Amino acid sequence: MLRTIALTLIFLLISLGGGISSVWYTLNANVGFGAIRIGVWTAFPQEGSNDADPYSVARRARDAKLPLGRAVGLSFFANTDSDGQTLSGQCNYQLVGNVPQARFWTIYPASPSLEPLKTSAYRNAVLHSQQLLRRQDSSFVISIGPDPAAGNWISVTQPNQMVFVLTLYDTQIASTVASAEREFPAIVNVGCRDE
Amino acid sequence: MLGAAMSRTIYTILLGLVGAAVVHLAVLLLVPIYSERDAWSRLSERAPLFALSPITGPDGTLFSRAADPLLTAAACRFALGTGIARVAAAGTVPYWAVSVHDRFGQEIYSFNDRTATDRQLDVVIASPAQMVELRKELPEEYENSVFVETDQREGIVVVRAFVPDQSWSGVVSSFIESAACRQE
Repeated sequence: MLRTIALTLIFLLISLGGGISSVWYTLNANVGFGAIRIGVWTAFPQEGSNDADPYSVARRARDAKLPLGRAVGLSFFANTDSDGQTLSGQCNYQLVGNVPQARFWTIYPASPSLEPLKTSAYRNAVLHSQQLLRRQDSSFVISIGPDPAAGNWISVTQPNQMVFVLTLYDTQIASTVASAEREFPAIVNVGCRDE
Repeated sequence: MLGAAMSRTIYTILLGLVGAAVVHLAVLLLVPIYSERDAWSRLSERAPLFALSPITGPDGTLFSRAADPLLTAAACRFALGTGIARVAAAGTVPYWAVSVHDRFGQEIYSFNDRTATDRQLDVVIASPAQMVELRKELPEEYENSVFVETDQREGIVVVRAFVPDQSWSGVVSSFIESAACRQE
């Protein structure tokens, strides 16, 4: 008798606990089917469409998302540098390279839950393509990190893990993604602060 | 005796794992249906139907994750039961985009200022039956409108505009404020 109750409890614990926590985990992990990966950058072009997978649909409902439409833009997320190390607010990074054709684009660091980081109460840590200093071949270097840098610099004032969000507006990138690999910026770690 | 208990425990664990998979699928598919935190529910908490309310902004009204700090966005809920929905705004901003979503946030249609007549924001959303009526005799005021036909009875319209720097914030916010979402 006691053993039957114990086994039933184990069954319920595994199925309910495992089932619910695995949904919670996958929804937080920002993974999904239909993702496109270009270097370190990942995007979910089908997120808002009727081709969206059940995970994207559930995430949309839970986070009150109204995804950018196809004619609006597409966001790319990077949570590691080009060496595969997780992005940290204690390190200085350089985004080097170029970005595919778009009317304009923005780049900002965000928390792992994709909340944009703030540098102060009134200022957002963000840059857009029309305010960049570029090299002669129109490529660019953007420094993101706690230590001031010459040229394009986004200041980071929190020491935790972070995600870079690169959003292209009015772009055809979703249909030409195969040829886009070399057009995305690399993320180079140029040194961390010692703690 | 010990062997039997052992195999029963293993059997229970395996059964539990199968149960976990079933629960996983069930929860996953039920979240969108029963969510009280989705965009529709949160918008209905802050504004009635046909009222445009900001969904991101420097004042911390942001509720949509992954929202670009350089874009101002406002959304309104519409229902097509008793009339068509129309969203129009006046003014010129560097970039605006409109996306029409169904009640669950799935995109129905989107377009931006490059595809609109004179770059003016004027969109009419109608059901197929209302569309037939409109086409019979198109009122002059809809001449420059972009028409979106949908069989969804209700949905959400999102207007987004780009704020390149602080000097544009006044222009862009008056553009968003001028935007009217109404039933006609």
